[in-house]
Order: sequence, then C-alpha cells, then structure tokens
Amino acid sequence: MRNKSTFSKLIVFCALLFGVFYGLLTLLPWVLRLAPEPIPAHAQLFTEGTRTTLYLTAWSGLFGLLIGMVLALGSRSDFTPVKALSGTVVSVMRGTPLLVQILFAYFALPALFPSLNINDFSAAVIALTLNVGAYNSEIFRSGINAVPKGQTEAARSLGLTRFQTFFRIVFPQAFRLVLPPLVNNLVALLKDSSLASSIGLLELALAGNRVSSETFMPVPILTTVACIYFVFTMGLTLLSTLLEKQLKTES
Amino acid sequence: MTTTPTEKFFGESCVVVRGLKKNFGNFQALKGVDISIKKGEVVVVVGPSGSGKSTFIRTLNRLEDFQEGTVTINGTPVVRGANLDKIRREVGMVFQSFNLFPHLTVLQNITLAPMKVKKLDRASAEKIALDLLERVGIKEKAHQYPSSLSGGQQQRVAIARALAMQPKIMLFDEPTSALDPEMVNEVLAVMKELALSGMTMVVVTHEMGFAREVADRIVFFDHGQILEEAPPTEFFSSPKTERSRQFLGQIL
Repeated sequence: MRNKSTFSKLIVFCALLFGVFYGLLTLLPWVLRLAPEPIPAHAQLFTEGTRTTLYLTAWSGLFGLLIGMVLALGSRSDFTPVKALSGTVVSVMRGTPLLVQILFAYFALPALFPSLNINDFSAAVIALTLNVGAYNSEIFRSGINAVPKGQTEAARSLGLTRFQTFFRIVFPQAFRLVLPPLVNNLVALLKDSSLASSIGLLELALAGNRVSSETFMPVPILTTVACIYFVFTMGLTLLSTLLEKQLKTES
Repeated sequence: MTTTPTEKFFGESCVVVRGLKKNFGNFQALKGVDISIKKGEVVVVVGPSGSGKSTFIRTLNRLEDFQEGTVTINGTPVVRGANLDKIRREVGMVFQSFNLFPHLTVLQNITLAPMKVKKLDRASAEKIALDLLERVGIKEKAHQYPSSLSGGQQQRVAIARALAMQPKIMLFDEPTSALDPEMVNEVLAVMKELALSGMTMVVVTHEMGFAREVADRIVFFDHGQILEEAPPTEFFSSPKTERSRQFLGQIL
C-alpha cells in the first residue's frame, strides 16, 4: 500500500482548515444572537469584522508563505545581489514595528507611487505579508539547513537536478520541521492583523472598539472580541497538531 | 611500460584522473593524483584517516569540487554544468552514513531516481526496485520506512538505490564504517557479489579482509597522494614503502 504523500496531506489540511473556519464564521452570528445584550444588537458588525480579520489573515498568510519561501531561497542564493536583497528585506521587516509598516503601506506608499491604487485592505495585506514573510523566511532557512547535507549529496549522486533535489528531498523533510513554527506565525498573524485598525480597516478589533465606545459597555464587548479571536487561534492550533501527528507517522 | 595482468583482463579505462589537486583553504587535501581505472576493475583505496581517500572518491563524481586536474568518466570530463547530472547517473555512490531519504519508503527511495531522472513509468521502476531488493536480500522491507531498518539493511537499500540507475561505476565511501560489527558482513557480501558480476568499483574501506579477497588493485593513499599501487597479494605480503608498512602494521 502506498502512503499518501506530504503534499496530499497538506491539501487535506488546507481544505479542513477552510471548512472549519467557514463553518465557524457561518455559525458566529447565530451564537452571538444567543448572547446577552448588547451583543446581539451588534452581531452583524462583529461578523463583518471577523470576516475581514479572517480574509486579512488568509491572504497575508498565503502570500507570506510564498514570500517567506522566496526570501529563504534568496538568502541561500550563490548570486550576491539576490542574497543581499533578501537579507536586507528580512532585517528591515524584522527590525521595524509592524504598526509603522502598516501606516507606511497605507500613507507613504501612495505618496511614493501615486499611480498605485492602495485601499486600506490591500495596504494591510502588503504590510502583514512582508512582515510575516520575513519571519517565515527565517523559519524556512533554519529548516532547510537542518536537513543533513548527505541527503543532498545522495540525491545529486543519483543524477537528480538541483530543483528535483530541493523539491523532492530537502523541502519535504524541512517542511515537517518548520510546520509548528509556521503555524505559530500564522496564529501571531491572526492576532497582529488587529493593528490594521490603525488605518481604519474595519476588522474585528476596530469593530469591537467602535461598539464599545458606542455602548459604554467595554467588558462584555471586548470579552466577546477576545473570545472570537481565541476560538479561531485555538482552531488553528488544534488542526495543526493533527497534521503534525499525521506527518510524524511517516518517519 | 610492462603489461600487467590488469590490462589483460579488463576493458578500456573508464575512470581517468590526471593531476588532481584539491585544497580546503590552506590545507592541501589532494596533492596531484593520477590514476586510471579499467572497466570491470575493483580498486580498493586504503590509507590512514585524513589521507585524502574520501575526498578523492568524492571528486570522482564531483560531489567535492577540485581546483586543478581532470577527471574523465567514460571519456566525458567531469566538469560543472549541464553534463554533470548525466555523468552522475552513470556513477552510483554509497555513503558511510547511508543517506537514505527518511520521508520515503524503501521502495520509493529506490524508484525515485529511475522515475524522475530516467522517466521510467512506475511499474517498470518498481519491478527493477523489487528485483534489486531481492538481490540484496530484503525484498520484504519494500514498504517500510528506512528508520525501521537496521544499519546493515539500510546500507543494502542504499546499494540497491544506486544500482537502480544501472550505473557503469560504483563508488563506495567507507560503506561499513558506520555499521555495528555484526552487520558488516551482510553488506560486504552484497559488495562482493557485485564485484563478481563485473561491476567497476572504487571502494574506500578499512576492511582489509575484503580488500585482500575482492580487490584487483590496492591503492594506498597518504598525505593527499597515492604512495603505492599493487595487486592485493603483493601489497599485503610485501608493501614497498615505509608508510604502507607502518599502516599495515597498525591495522593488521
């Protein structure tokens, strides 16, 4: 019997993740309507905010994986300019506050490139993507370095090309190592997306803040906001633990 | 030059090394190595640790880069570039630490290169793999992961994996040095069978019993160069250099 490959397990994981989050999001207004006042009156706004937060996390998370991969490969490149550029991007994104990056993407980027049409959502995605991408790249890099050199040598000695060696041998092994820290980053991203409220993007945190100042009832409102974040981060953590166990059974 | 028995029995030269030099920073690991190996010949490379024998065998398929000299395999110079992957297909390598791919089953370890490099379909690749596993005596482990195999079994899988590409030359870099003593023989038996089948082999090893029994020629390395070359009977009974006498005195 052939085992399912890492790749197909990953697809199942993503589908599961999507399904669970979609289900939670659909259930959310119904659950909120069961809560004591003043929550049900604002259920609509909370749901909208949650949806924006999830979209923000999904797009930034996805692009952040790609950027992280590209930066990691760039930092391992033999070509000095590529190596230097990747290193600089990572240092800058890790060395400056995310809040400043979001403000920069929203206010400074359009000033620098007037032809760009950046709304609040895309500005937040740009900043979050580059930020999480920089952290992801360090994780990818250490994961790739942790795969013994003998693996590459064995693959190359069999006549596999550099690309085949990377995608068939090194990456699948590195991926198992980097999965837990990558999910950590995704959880952090979900929470950090709340900083996008600083540019007026109506995501969950800003929605909560508005309702709270409208109703003068910060305790139930902010507790609800915190609970919604918590449910989604827990969901993410639990699913990734499941995937980790699945991948471990192979080796 | 007088005709040695080797030239009578073996085909044309398939590995030719000329003036090979390799530095690690300031350290000269290989100081000009010249050797030619004929088709079907089994060359066993011996020498004290740090003598450059592992570095030497790794330069043959250019896993180890070198600064000066040439290596030619079956008439093709081993240089960086498009041809290198092609040459490597014809040169199988077995490592001290096995280097099996832990995320693939035994069968997948063996079929990967034939499928991806030679573009064989799965059925033919698996047939080759299972035949080879039978040859090395572990067909029943085909669907297990390498971690569940003993060291000796893993090394036999590694040999099968290299053979699956139907190489013309096999390189063995201390294939039994990482094994528990009781597993050394099962690997040597496979190598011996391979030698008898006419495979061209270069073997770096400390197994003098194997060298004496299987080698056509012993090459003695010291300080990055070949000090002595001789058929095993000659090398073990009357070593010519002081260094080789010392070396044999220490290990025999």
